[in-house]
Amino acid sequence: MSISAKDNLSEIITVNMGPQHPSTHGVLRLVVDLDGETIVGVRPDIGFLHRGVEKLAEHRTYHQFIPLTDRLDYLSPLSNNLAYCLAVEKFFNVKIPERAEYLRVIFAELARCASHLLWIATHALDIGAMTVFLYAFRERELILDMFEIATGQRMTSSWIRVGGIREDVPPLFIERLKEFVNIFDERINTYERLLTKNRIWLKRTVGVGKISREDAIDYGVSGPIMRGSGVNFDLRRDEPYGIYDRFNFEVAVEDGCDIYARYLVRVKEMREANKILKQALEQLPEGPVMTDDPRVQIPPHEEVYEKMEALIRRFYIITKGFAAPKGEAYACVEAPKGELGFYIVSDGDSKPYRLKIRAPSFVNLGALETMAKGHMVADLVGIIGSIDIVLGEIDR
Amino acid sequence: MNFVELVNKVNEKFPGKVINSYEKFGSRFIVVDRGSFKDILRSLKYDFGFDYLVDIVATHWPKRKEKFDVVYNLFTVKDKFRIFVKVAIEDDKIESVVDIWKGANFLEREQYDLVGVKFEGHPDLRRILLPEFFDGHPLRKDYPLKGRKWFNNADEQNLGLKFSR
Repeated sequence: MSISAKDNLSEIITVNMGPQHPSTHGVLRLVVDLDGETIVGVRPDIGFLHRGVEKLAEHRTYHQFIPLTDRLDYLSPLSNNLAYCLAVEKFFNVKIPERAEYLRVIFAELARCASHLLWIATHALDIGAMTVFLYAFRERELILDMFEIATGQRMTSSWIRVGGIREDVPPLFIERLKEFVNIFDERINTYERLLTKNRIWLKRTVGVGKISREDAIDYGVSGPIMRGSGVNFDLRRDEPYGIYDRFNFEVAVEDGCDIYARYLVRVKEMREANKILKQALEQLPEGPVMTDDPRVQIPPHEEVYEKMEALIRRFYIITKGFAAPKGEAYACVEAPKGELGFYIVSDGDSKPYRLKIRAPSFVNLGALETMAKGHMVADLVGIIGSIDIVLGEIDR
Repeated sequence: MNFVELVNKVNEKFPGKVINSYEKFGSRFIVVDRGSFKDILRSLKYDFGFDYLVDIVATHWPKRKEKFDVVYNLFTVKDKFRIFVKVAIEDDKIESVVDIWKGANFLEREQYDLVGVKFEGHPDLRRILLPEFFDGHPLRKDYPLKGRKWFNNADEQNLGLKFSR
C-alpha cells in the first residue's frame, strides 16, 4: 500500500469557503484553489451586504447621510462620521470650535481602540487563543459604555455633525475616560503577556501572509498592513486633519511584512492612541461644541424655543438641507482599518451629485491573493483575520 | 513638492496635454487630455513618484458632451503629496491602468460595476458588488432610486427552475 504519482496528486482542487463561515467575519465568500493543502489561488466573491449606500447618498441631504456612514465600518462608526463631516466641511471652510475638535480626536481614538480590541480578540480566537478574547472584550465594553454615556448608542452613534458635534459630553464621560486611560496601558500589557512571546502564536503568525513593501504600495493597501510592511506612513502625521498636528505620538512601523508585524503595529497603535487620549484630556478646553456659522449650523434647542429666526433656520436646514458650492472635495482620515476617504462631487444642490467612499478594507482585500499564495489552507483564516476586514465597508 | 512646479514639469514633458489645473476646496486637480492620459499617469508614477493609487472615481454627466469623468486619486508616500488627475471621456470606454498599479484591479471593477465605465485592457473585468445577472449600472443618473425588479434569471445553478411572479 503506497501512494504514487499515478494517484493524480498534483490535481488542483477548488474549494468554496463562506459566505457563512465563522472566520470570514461577515459574509465573505472565497473560492480557493488548492494543490494538496497549498493555496495556489484565492478569488474573493463580495457584495452579499451591498446596500447601495453611494446611490442613497445622492438622494439625501448632507445631514441625512450621516447615519448611513455608521453602517459602513460598524466597528468604528465615529471615524466614519468624522471622515464624512470633514469632507463636507471642506466645501464651506468652517471653523470648528476648539472643544469640538478635541472631542472629535477623543472619539476617533476611542473608536480606534475599540476596533483594534475587537480585532485582537477575534483574531486570537481564530488562531486558537481563547483567553485574550475575554480580556479584550472587557476593555471594549468600557469604551462602548463611554459611547453610550456620550451619544446614547453603543455602536451606531451618528454623533459628529457638519460643523462640530451634536452635543457636549456629560461630566460622567470625562470621569470614565480618565479612569480608562489610566488602566489601559496596563491592560495592553496583559494581552502582550498572553500573545507576544506565546510559542503557538509565533508559529502561526511569523512569516505567514507576507506582502513586500513594494507590493503593499502597489496594491494601495493602507493602515496597519502598510505599516506592517515597513512603509512609514500615517495620515494623522503626514496629512494632518483636525488638530492632530498638536499631539505627540509615534507612528508604529514594523518591517516583518507578516501577520505578526501587523499584530505588533496594532498593539503599538493602541498604546499611541492612549497617549493621544491623555494629551487630549489634559488640553481639553471649555466652550461651545457646534460652530455658529449660519450656513451649516443646526440651531440649538435653547435658541429655537426663544427666537423665531432660529426656529425658521432649523426647520429649513432639517427639511431642505444646505447647498454646497459647485466642485469636488475629498477628505480622508486614518481609520482603524486604513485610509478612509470620502470624495464628494457637488453641482450646487443640497444633495451630493456623486459620493464615492474609499473603503480601506475593500482595497486591502484586493491584496489577499498575494498574501495567501503558497501558504497552507489553515493559514488562510489567519491571513483574512490580519487584514481586519469589515464587510459593511467592503460591500457598502 | 509644489503643485505649480509639478504642473509645469508635466506640461513640459507633455506639451499641450494638460488642459487645466486648479486647487479648490483643498484638493489639487490636473485635467489632462483623453488621448495621452495613460502616458501621463505612467510618467507620474515612475518620474514623479506617485506610487500609491488611492482611488478611482467615475462620475456620470448625462447632459454633457463628455459623458463621464474619471478621476485618479494619487499620492506619493515619499513626499506626502496628493493630486487628482481628471479625464473626461465621451463614450464609456477608457484604458485600464492595472499594468501601472496592481491595486487598480478592484477599483476599476467596482467603477465598471456601479457606473458602467469599461476599462479596456483590464485582465478580469467582471461585476464585483452586484450579481452577474444584474441589469444596468445603478450609479448612472438615469437609473431610478426606487422600483422593484424581478430577477427572472436567478437560477444561477442551471437547475432548470422557472420563477415567476
